[in-house]
Amino acid sequence: MNALPAPLPVAAGASEARALAFLADLSQTLAVSLDLRQTLDEAINRIAAFMGAEAASLFLLDADGTTLECRVCFGPVDLTGLRIAVGQGVVGRAVAENASQVSSDAQRDQRVDPAVDASTGFVTRSLLCAPLSTAKGPIGALEVVNKRDGGVFGVADAEILRLIAAPTALAINNARMAHELVEQTRLKREFDLARRLQKSLLPRRRRDGFPVLGVNLPAHEISGDFYDFFDLPDGRVGFVIGDVSGKGLDAALLMVRAASLLRWVGKEGAAPGEWLAKVNEELCQTRLDGRFVCALVGQCDRAGTRVRIAAAGFPPALVHRDGAFTEYPSGGPPLGILPGVAFDEHAITLDGGALYCFSDGVTDVRDAHRRLLGGQGVRELITRHAGSSTEPRLRAMLSELKRLRLVDDTTVLVIERANARGPEVLLERRFAAQPEQMRELRSALRSALDGAGIDAGLRDRLVLAVDEACCNIIRHAYGEHHSGDIAVRVSNEGSVLEFRLLDSAPPVDPCCVRAKPLGEVRAGGLGVALIESVMDEWGLCARADGRGNRLVMRKRVEARNQPGDDNE
Amino acid sequence: MNGMEQETSDGSTLIRLRGEVDLSWSQQVRRAVLDALAASRRVGVELSGVSYIDSSGIAALVEGFQNARTQGRGFALVAVSDAVRSVLELARLDRVFPIVADAASIPDVTGTPAWKP
Repeated sequence: MNALPAPLPVAAGASEARALAFLADLSQTLAVSLDLRQTLDEAINRIAAFMGAEAASLFLLDADGTTLECRVCFGPVDLTGLRIAVGQGVVGRAVAENASQVSSDAQRDQRVDPAVDASTGFVTRSLLCAPLSTAKGPIGALEVVNKRDGGVFGVADAEILRLIAAPTALAINNARMAHELVEQTRLKREFDLARRLQKSLLPRRRRDGFPVLGVNLPAHEISGDFYDFFDLPDGRVGFVIGDVSGKGLDAALLMVRAASLLRWVGKEGAAPGEWLAKVNEELCQTRLDGRFVCALVGQCDRAGTRVRIAAAGFPPALVHRDGAFTEYPSGGPPLGILPGVAFDEHAITLDGGALYCFSDGVTDVRDAHRRLLGGQGVRELITRHAGSSTEPRLRAMLSELKRLRLVDDTTVLVIERANARGPEVLLERRFAAQPEQMRELRSALRSALDGAGIDAGLRDRLVLAVDEACCNIIRHAYGEHHSGDIAVRVSNEGSVLEFRLLDSAPPVDPCCVRAKPLGEVRAGGLGVALIESVMDEWGLCARADGRGNRLVMRKRVEARNQPGDDNE
Repeated sequence: MNGMEQETSDGSTLIRLRGEVDLSWSQQVRRAVLDALAASRRVGVELSGVSYIDSSGIAALVEGFQNARTQGRGFALVAVSDAVRSVLELARLDRVFPIVADAASIPDVTGTPAWKP
């Protein structure tokens, strides 16, 4: 039969006009609809009718491009859900070759898979299949089976089906893009919500000498990092850092649940191992759909000396002390996977050292050469900034991490005696409040400021300001009727010099200490004016114990490198 | 060490200060300047050997300057050291005082300051 030319549709001109009208109609229907399933259902019926076919079906390529699945069909047999490998059968071939296939005698055609007929009881006599082509290649195929009038499909029919396939492919593509857009908007909303949820869980920074400090640096993609800390009834401090597997809203919701569980169980004050075990049991009781929670929990005294931790699938905690690192690996699997597991604890004496807990986002940070920062990189990062006190150190470390590529949320928790680094004390001295003592004090101040690398011009102005402050105490606070000492303390924190003067003179009303305008030709008030012009700020108040006055002056100085600064 | 010397000739007095002029002896400086103004038509305070001066020292000089103007005497700072000059600048008094290079340049009468703030 193949040898015979296929019969042309009766009166080619009339047929073409009919085909064009149908195409225009079909294109319009497909173009205005973004609801693919309903539109295709309708389209496949009309295509079958127009082609005079007993059955018609539409196959779409799956995401990995290896299998075709029947999405809609028309005819006596429902093929919906039928899967065909690309290259297999007429449909698979149409897609593999991106070319129409015509089979006038299906029963004897090698390309036709007899298995379909065998399973459905349908007898395929003739079939026609056109690929659904797009600029990026075929996305599926359109198939019509058996002419109603008993005839066979020929080349002209194949050409018409090819024309019909074009707007169909376009419509499917449009609908997919629209769907993607909707999905993106949904993901964006999810992302924002998840981010807000995550932020709402992080505790406020504590400034009351609290030994725990945490930071979270968000990445573009949200992950379920969180941290927490709180006071325990016995005066100790509990802390938590965790990471929920997965991304998006589901992960964020699990994070909220895990974070609240860890907080409430933690507040009972149970030992870290037991704490994790309880939360694990609770999480294991509900379906997490393959999600899990990595966490590290611990307790420490307010002084930040004695720490007890336990971890569940969390990256090793790192203690940095005296220039050396000690690693404390996780003592159990992540939470929410296996009920009844135990979590080993580590008891750590910090002794002036710092305990770092990093989410895996930190080690996953990539440097300029796209290399992972890794454990070694993290150690180098800590060592580089070890010279500064906790907050500036963490800030410096984070700004360095920010410059690198963040693939994940980055969260760091540091446990350390508050102000372990403290301000660097440059000079501490107590002397009798007498003018004769000032020469000696100025000399000591000069050496101290030289030692801190302050340049000579600024050094002399600072010495002058401190001298003026002392003279005011001698002349006005103690005056002629009182005597006592002045305690001077000069310290350097970060890049701010602080000069603190304590006296035991009768309280001075700060309102009475005023500067005269500089340049005014009049003696008196010049000292305060000099202090104001040299220092960035100064303040006078009564000492907390009420026995004297406290004057503090501050001056920001250029950051500078000092030998030994970056060593422990 | 701190020190103060005085030279008087032909109605002019030059007070030479040395060391660190601070609260411990600025009253002596003040007294010396005022006494010299009472006795001489022209008074100069030589400061080349002064390595430090505080506001009480500056105050003594300010008082001398004001006193000279009311008495119609000549008054100037002579050979000001860098240390003194930077404090005068800080106090914005560097253009208030007549500052001269040597004793011979001390004016007869202290006039209006060259610059007013």
